[in-house]
Amino acid sequence: MTLSEIANGKLAPRTGIKLDNISKRYGDHIVLDDVSLHVEPGTVTALIGPSGAGKSTFLRCINLLERPDSGTIQVAEHTIQPGKDVNARDLAALRRTVGMVFQSFNLFPHMSALKNISFPQQKVLGRSREEADERSMQLLERVGLKEKAGQHPGRCSGGQQQRIAIARALALDPGIMLFDEPTSALDPEVGLEVLAVMRELAADGMTMIVVTHEMQFARDVSDTLVVMADCKIIEQGDPRAVMSDPQEARTRRFLRAVLER
Amino acid sequence: MTWLTEWVGYLPQMMSGLGVSLLIAGISILFGYPLGLGLSLMVTAKNLAVRTLGLAVVEIGRGAPALVILYLFYYGLPKFGIAFESVTAACLALTWNSAAYSSEIMRAGLQSVARGQQEASNALGLSQRVTFFRVIMPQGMRSAIPGLMGVAIQVFQGTSLAYGIAVPELMKTAYNIGSQDFNYLQIFTLAGLCYAVISMPATWITVFFEKRMARHT
Repeated sequence: MTLSEIANGKLAPRTGIKLDNISKRYGDHIVLDDVSLHVEPGTVTALIGPSGAGKSTFLRCINLLERPDSGTIQVAEHTIQPGKDVNARDLAALRRTVGMVFQSFNLFPHMSALKNISFPQQKVLGRSREEADERSMQLLERVGLKEKAGQHPGRCSGGQQQRIAIARALALDPGIMLFDEPTSALDPEVGLEVLAVMRELAADGMTMIVVTHEMQFARDVSDTLVVMADCKIIEQGDPRAVMSDPQEARTRRFLRAVLER
Repeated sequence: MTWLTEWVGYLPQMMSGLGVSLLIAGISILFGYPLGLGLSLMVTAKNLAVRTLGLAVVEIGRGAPALVILYLFYYGLPKFGIAFESVTAACLALTWNSAAYSSEIMRAGLQSVARGQQEASNALGLSQRVTFFRVIMPQGMRSAIPGLMGVAIQVFQGTSLAYGIAVPELMKTAYNIGSQDFNYLQIFTLAGLCYAVISMPATWITVFFEKRMARHT
């Protein structure tokens, strides 16, 4: 079985997501200025751009870790307008559909790797402990960490922790996975382990949105490259096309900085 | 050697006094910790009224000496027709005291839990209840353990204040024995030793926990 087949049980239908006119400000400070992004089911979208562009905030708006001031989020059959009251059922449905991986892993340090993956399944999906553990072990094996099941996160390397975190998110059968700079806290070599898992996931057809500074990954793996700067999306398209022939001066400047170093 | 033989003679009475002290301390801690947790949540609540009430209870509990609260419960409240037995009054006052102090330690512990833990729980779709009791609290309480054990020792020693309202605890027992044959030096030395015999191992355990936790983080 492939990673996302395991993740989705029986190849759940791919989920796309439509974000329209998302705006967010902290006081007078605008962070996102009317940003729209449509992600087709089964595609990988890489979000790049200079720091402070709003990439992470935008990603965190998708599952409402940040609450946008206005805009519309359409995911599966749910339409959510975060500027207005979001009821608990819509929020729960949104978060069930969308999995997230953080830069700092955010594993639960007081639980073993296995428990980290099983506990949310039991609480969110109501799986029995045996069911959950079985799924967790499959996922751990798939990310190459079966032998770490009983270890606490503190005993795992950063790359191992991030792979456990990916398994934890996959265990809830998400239709979409969000990655917020998943390798930025890792040594370059260790980051490769994580990127390998992500490549595999992408190859299996998981819908992914990835905020990243890994240009190689963005070029090789993503279907759409989205460049953000100054709280907006300034350019998007086929990653090779955007990288070899950027249309915007700001994109050119950014790409020169990251590619020619 | 005469001291030793005297001490052996005093010991049965002293042990019963120590029992009362431990009982009061035990009850005050047993109720004080959960109340402290409640207060720590009140103090960090969004609702202003809840927060103000929590803050008032905590600040009075920490601001006023335990003896003052003790006297208020025992001598003050009868004015409103509420009268407690001396042991009950001592338990109530020390419960308030330990709740107030432990609430601040727990609040600090809870707030020390990394923000990412809450975010990850939200992203996974865990409910607020599950997130608090299974993710935040276990981590926050872990770092609060040494402080909470300190409060327990402090409460145990604080039971000596109940002497002031004639509770037959360790201090009162010692004083009574001393006033019979004026062997104050011997009897209060023994009383001090009794407190130390309980408090010092407790301190060692606290230090042990601190070291253990430093190793694991």
